[in-house]
Amino acid sequence: MAENAATSTRLALRRGASSRWYGGATPWLFLAPFLAAFVLFRLGPVIGGFFISLTRWSIVGSPTWVGLANYRALLRDPLFHTSLVNTLFFVLLTVPAMVALSLGLALLVNMRLAPRIFARTSIFLPYVVMAAVVGVIWNWMLDSNFGLVNYALKLVGLGPFRWLTDFKLAMPAVAGVTIWWTVGFNMIIYLAGLQDVPRELEEAAMIDGAGPLAVLRHVTLPMLTPTTFVVLMLTTINAAQVFDQIYVMTGGGPGTSTLTLVQYLFYQAFQSFNLGYGSAIAYFVFLLLAVFGIIQLRLVHQQVTS
Amino acid sequence: MQFGAALSMIVVGIVFLLPILWMLITSVKPEGQIMRYPPEFVPRHITAENFASVFRRFAFGRWAFNSILVAAAATLLVVPVDALAGYALARMRFPGRDALYMLILSMLMVPLQVTVIPLFIGFTEVKMLSTHWALILPTVGNVTGVFLLRQFFVTVPAELEDAGRIDGANQFQLWWFVMLPLARPVMATVTIITFMSSWNNFLWPLIAVSNDFTRTLPVGIAQFMGGTSGASGSAPTYGMPTAAAAMATAPAVVVFLAMQRWFVRGITTTGIKG
Repeated sequence: MAENAATSTRLALRRGASSRWYGGATPWLFLAPFLAAFVLFRLGPVIGGFFISLTRWSIVGSPTWVGLANYRALLRDPLFHTSLVNTLFFVLLTVPAMVALSLGLALLVNMRLAPRIFARTSIFLPYVVMAAVVGVIWNWMLDSNFGLVNYALKLVGLGPFRWLTDFKLAMPAVAGVTIWWTVGFNMIIYLAGLQDVPRELEEAAMIDGAGPLAVLRHVTLPMLTPTTFVVLMLTTINAAQVFDQIYVMTGGGPGTSTLTLVQYLFYQAFQSFNLGYGSAIAYFVFLLLAVFGIIQLRLVHQQVTS
Repeated sequence: MQFGAALSMIVVGIVFLLPILWMLITSVKPEGQIMRYPPEFVPRHITAENFASVFRRFAFGRWAFNSILVAAAATLLVVPVDALAGYALARMRFPGRDALYMLILSMLMVPLQVTVIPLFIGFTEVKMLSTHWALILPTVGNVTGVFLLRQFFVTVPAELEDAGRIDGANQFQLWWFVMLPLARPVMATVTIITFMSSWNNFLWPLIAVSNDFTRTLPVGIAQFMGGTSGASGSAPTYGMPTAAAAMATAPAVVVFLAMQRWFVRGITTTGIKG
C-alpha cells in the first residue's frame, strides 16, 4: 500500500505537471476575461477584416459587397506595385545586414573583456527609444546642412548628401536608422543563443588545431542555426510591416520613394477612407508574411537535412 | 587581439550612443546656436528654454499623462487576465482546450495591421474612438502574455497544487496562493513587455485618437515634427523637438537601466525559449 503510494508519487513527479480533468464551468470562468477581449479585439477583427476587404466602404454609409474586386484592383494599382517593391527593397536592405551585424556584435560583446557591459548597454539602448523620438534624432543627425552624419563624411571628403530628400538615398537612410534602432534586440537573442553553445565543443576543436575562424565557422555558427532562424523570422516579419519610423522620417517621400505597404494601407484606409481597399492591402501583407514564413522554413529544413 | 577587441567595444558603444547624446546636447542649446558648423559638442550656453517652450506651445504634459495612464491601465488589466487564462490552459483539461490554445497561438502569426481597420470601425460604431478605452482595451486581446504564462504554469509540479487541495483550497485560491507567487518572474516579464509596447505603440493611437485630450506621447511628438521641421515648408528647428524627445525618452531609459535583467529575459523568452 505504502509502496504503491510511493510509486504513484514518483510517477506523478516523473510526469511533471499533470493537469486535471474539468468538465464544468471552472476553466471557462478563468478564461472568460481573456476570451472576451481576444474575440472582440483580435479574432473578431481578423475575421471581420477579411469580409471588409470584400466590400467597398467609406466610413459614412453602409458597405457594398464587391467580392474580390478590391484584390483585382490591387493587381492593377501602380501605387500598390510601388509600395510592394519598396517594401521588398526595405526587407532586402535590412534583413541580411541585421543578421550579420547582430551576430557580429553578439560575438564581440560576448568576449570576457572589461568594456563589454558598456558596449551591450549602448547597443541595446536605442531599442527602448520610441519611433517618434527615432524620427527626431535622425532627422537632425541626417540634416543636409548641419547634420552630424554629413559632418563626419565631410571630414573624409565625402558628401554632402541630402539623405531624406533624395529619391535614391531616402530608403537606404531609413534602413540604416532601423538597423541602429533594433540591432541591439537581435544581438540579445544571439547572446542568449551563444550561452547555449557548449564551451567544451569549441575547446575540443581548438585542441584539434582549429583556429578561431575555423571554430566560428564549423562549430559556433552551426550551433547557432536555430537562433539565426529566429532572428531571420523576426526581422523579416518586422521589415515587411515597417511603418512607424518611415511615417516620422519621410512620410513615404520624397515622392513615393519610401512608400511601403503599411504606409499605403494607412493612406488608403485613413486618409482616403477606402476601408475595403485598405483591408485588402492588410490581407495582402498577411499573405506576404505567410509566404516569407514558408520560404524560410524550407531553407532551414534544407540546412538541417543537408 | 584582446586590446583591439576591447577598443572596438568602446568605439562601437560610443557610435551607438552618440545619436542619443547628440539629442540631449542639442536640447539644452539656445535655438540660435544649434545649427553650427563645425558642430559644438560642448554647448557654450545652456538653457531650459526649449523645454519650457515644449510645455508652453504643446499639450506635452497631457500627452505624457495619457501615455502613463494608458500603459499603466493596460498592464494592470493584462497581467491578471493573462495569468488566469494561462493557468486554465496549462493546468485544467477540458473539452476543446487544445483546439482553443492552437486558435489563440495562431493569432501570433497575424500582423496587427490586419486588425486596425475593423477596430477603427468598431470603436466608431460604439462612439468610443478618441477615448482612453480605445487605446487600453485592444491590448488585453494580445496573445504573448497568455503564451508566456501558460508555458510557465505547465512546468509547475502537480504536488504543489495537490498539497494546496489537501489544505482545502478551492481552485481560485490555488491560483492565487500557490501559483501566482511562483509566477512572479514571468509576470515581471509580461509587465515589462506590456508596458513598453503600450508606451511605444504608434499606429493604432495614430488612427484611434484625434485630440490632445487622449493623445499619447509617440503620436504627439511625431505630429509636432511636422509642425516645426521642413514638412510644413518652414526651415527646420531642432531645439524643441529634441527637448520633447529627451523628455519622452528619459523614463524609458531609466526603467531600462533599472530593470535590464528583466528586459533581457523578456526578449529571450519571447524570442526563442518559448
